[in-house]
Amino acid sequence: MSQKIRTAPKQDAQSVGTVAVVDASAQVSMDPFFHILKLIPYSFLRPPRLRLKLPSFSLPSAMTVFSLILLTYFMVVSGFIYDVIVEPPGIGSTQDPATGAVRPVVFLPGRVNGQYIIEGLSSGFMFVLGGIGIVLLDLALDKNRARSIKVSYSMAGISSIFIAYVMTTLFIRIKIPGYLR
Amino acid sequence: MATVTNTPVSDLLKSFKLKTKQQELLIRVSILCLVYILAFIIRLFSVLRYESMIHEFDPYFNYRTTLYLTQNGFYDFWNWFDYESWYPLGRIIGGTLYPGLMVTAVLIYRILHFLRFAVHIREVCVLTAPFFASNTTLVAYFFGKEIWDTGAGLVAAILIAICPGYISRSVAGSYDNEGVAIFALLFTFYLFVKAVNTGSLAWSLASAFGYFYMVSAWGGYVFIINLIPLYVLVLLITGRYSMRLYIAYNCMYVLGMLLAMQIRFVGFQHVQSGEHMAAMGVFFLMQVFYFLDWVKHMLSDTKLFQAFLRITVTCAVAVGTIALGLGMLSGYISPWTGRFYSLLDPTYAKDHIPIIASVSEHQPTAWSSFMFDYHILLFLFPAGLYFCFKRLSDATIFIVMYGLTSMYFAGVMVRLILVATPAVCLISAIAVSATVKNLTVLLRSKNKGVLTGSTKGSSSSKASSKALLDQSQPFQKNGAIALLFGAFYLLSKYATHCTWVTSEAYSSPSIVLAARGAHGNRVIFDDYREAYFWLRQNTPADAKVMSWWDYGYQITAMGNRTVIVDNNTWNNTHIATVGRAMSSYEDEAIEIMRSLDVDYVLVVFGGVTGYSSDDINKFLWMVRIGGGVFPVIKEPDYLVNGEYRVDKGAAPKMLNCLMYKLCYYRFGEMLTEYGKPPGYDRARGVEIGNKDIKLEHLEEAFTTSNWIVRIYKVKPPNNRW
Repeated sequence: MSQKIRTAPKQDAQSVGTVAVVDASAQVSMDPFFHILKLIPYSFLRPPRLRLKLPSFSLPSAMTVFSLILLTYFMVVSGFIYDVIVEPPGIGSTQDPATGAVRPVVFLPGRVNGQYIIEGLSSGFMFVLGGIGIVLLDLALDKNRARSIKVSYSMAGISSIFIAYVMTTLFIRIKIPGYLR
Repeated sequence: MATVTNTPVSDLLKSFKLKTKQQELLIRVSILCLVYILAFIIRLFSVLRYESMIHEFDPYFNYRTTLYLTQNGFYDFWNWFDYESWYPLGRIIGGTLYPGLMVTAVLIYRILHFLRFAVHIREVCVLTAPFFASNTTLVAYFFGKEIWDTGAGLVAAILIAICPGYISRSVAGSYDNEGVAIFALLFTFYLFVKAVNTGSLAWSLASAFGYFYMVSAWGGYVFIINLIPLYVLVLLITGRYSMRLYIAYNCMYVLGMLLAMQIRFVGFQHVQSGEHMAAMGVFFLMQVFYFLDWVKHMLSDTKLFQAFLRITVTCAVAVGTIALGLGMLSGYISPWTGRFYSLLDPTYAKDHIPIIASVSEHQPTAWSSFMFDYHILLFLFPAGLYFCFKRLSDATIFIVMYGLTSMYFAGVMVRLILVATPAVCLISAIAVSATVKNLTVLLRSKNKGVLTGSTKGSSSSKASSKALLDQSQPFQKNGAIALLFGAFYLLSKYATHCTWVTSEAYSSPSIVLAARGAHGNRVIFDDYREAYFWLRQNTPADAKVMSWWDYGYQITAMGNRTVIVDNNTWNNTHIATVGRAMSSYEDEAIEIMRSLDVDYVLVVFGGVTGYSSDDINKFLWMVRIGGGVFPVIKEPDYLVNGEYRVDKGAAPKMLNCLMYKLCYYRFGEMLTEYGKPPGYDRARGVEIGNKDIKLEHLEEAFTTSNWIVRIYKVKPPNNRW
């Protein structure tokens, strides 16, 4: 009797497995591979009871995609591809003619389309900061928040835009000596 | 009640008072007219400073072909075989150019002549690019209106009118494909987005014709035929499949493909080339989607449909992959060409194709190039992306994709900043418009009582929220006014920057050089045209000129002489032969020159003026390209410890090669700068190594007044004893 009870769940497991394989369609007996498989090896092998699920693919939310895009934008605009191909040094150096000491040079002088790695990254950061500042301003004007948060967002936004613009103008003035003259 | 005196004057004035809608229309139309005129006149700096002439190198070829078209008509132009370039190979011009630009210019020329304005074709060519830039601003307005609203459209028109990224290739005199192509690109995209939004067959067909114009204008049409399928794919993935999308894409793809095959240069690439296969794949995928939709409509059993869906998608993907694989293996579908492959893998050109890597426009972009060409748009771009993501629709998804893909390509190659400019301007316009709208809403919000404040329920008690709101209203209004002034300040700085950049950096004709003299006066070097005119006047009509490929188009157009290689660079071996001749000793070089029937050699030399884009600075590229085909030329032979030098410590092969001799012939006696020895090269900043140069097989024919262009005549072989 206990034998029978033990084999019954095995049969059930097998039949559940086969039904899952065949996929709710009525043609259980038409498939030759199914019959072959039923014979060998699953007549003497017992498939284990697993609780696997196919990974479900759900699209990420819009704001997740936006933050990924912001990261990519930062890389492109800092001249990352330029860094990979031309391989400039992280920071340049020049020798002081009077004392002979080696001084670092942050901005590559002489031409518009050239950079060192660090100046690219810092400028890219300033651009992204300016963009985030405008986003913070928009968030500050959203009505469904506490007033203190709105105020802090707007202050952060305004200061971000201000700093980003001032720094960027400063950078470009250092890089191109004749700027706006 | 007070009585109002009705004078006839006030009655007259009242009859002129417009309704608000009409006022708005008047403001919009006047803004667009002003922007149209602004876009035209900001590009006229070089015409006002120098004269109305064609700039750079490539536009001279376009000008020559336009001249041929006006003189000989369309069928002769379409079937033209040019024996005056690439001697002795010749070039099939009819089948190797994009005719859109020339046909457009000739059309404008004929219209003007019909209206009895007897202009020269050169004036039409010079002013074609600014005219199309103005048209682009109009298209940007309509596009912005389609994506967001009329405010964004107006801001987009203003931004793109003066954006330096666009001005750099569409200034007056820059008669190049891009001037017309950017208009065609934006126009095609606008028509396609309009078709997807409305689902109308008329707009889809219009977008197909817009695509045809783009294919006829520029090789960059590959961007359209890859971006639009990518966009369709993204829409399908995000579940936005609709009948409108089906109609729009099908019409545009099929009709656009058939029309594109009318251009001989493109030919059957739409079915044969790997770069166009994405469009075909998405076309078939759309048919599968439509089929599945129809089956779903017919079936009532969802489970059955799920099974059917899975089987069909698997089969479709499998069949597609097999077909693609068969096509590529059998060679019917050609792989991606080097030019476009180097966009996906930027390191490819550096290692394998030195000709592509040598062009300065093909270098990757540094941050300062971005800042130079975009200024504050770089801040507004991420903010605009945020607004687009907040309000996703079919149209905003398109502009986001266009912006992202074009920004990536702009990062890979400096020249492609031009393609990214319309997207950046549109997205920035969205940011500006949304921010200004938010601020003005804040300004206009009246004290609608405290009802609005209390219903939000953001603070602890209603009483305190009422009080806070009352106190914050004037503060908010002042804050909004201050921020609006800040925005106005930033935009005015943008305008100042754009005008300065256009005036200083992008308005130089390149064929005429300008410099500041010792007393701050402007000195003009017109050596190039002097040399080409000398060639035209003083050499026999069938003389062949050998020079580096940069100057080929200008020599053929202005000097009217046959050249060996020119800017088309279609034959790498021929260019490598010229490179080999330039980098060999004189005895070996004369063999090559005699085999090519060369009569004159032209070199460009900047040692006297300090001009840095001369042939000595380009010499290493000649060595690399020559060495790529003829292994006898080795680059390390010309370098000393990996360094490129021309002074006493230079490599002996460098000091005696043909290019060195031709550039520095008789230069050793020349005093170029006060306090420096004779033979001081101002461009390299050193005194040259080999001052005593004797030429055996060439003799000097002409040197321009500032020694920039030097022409040598190949002596005929000695008589036998």
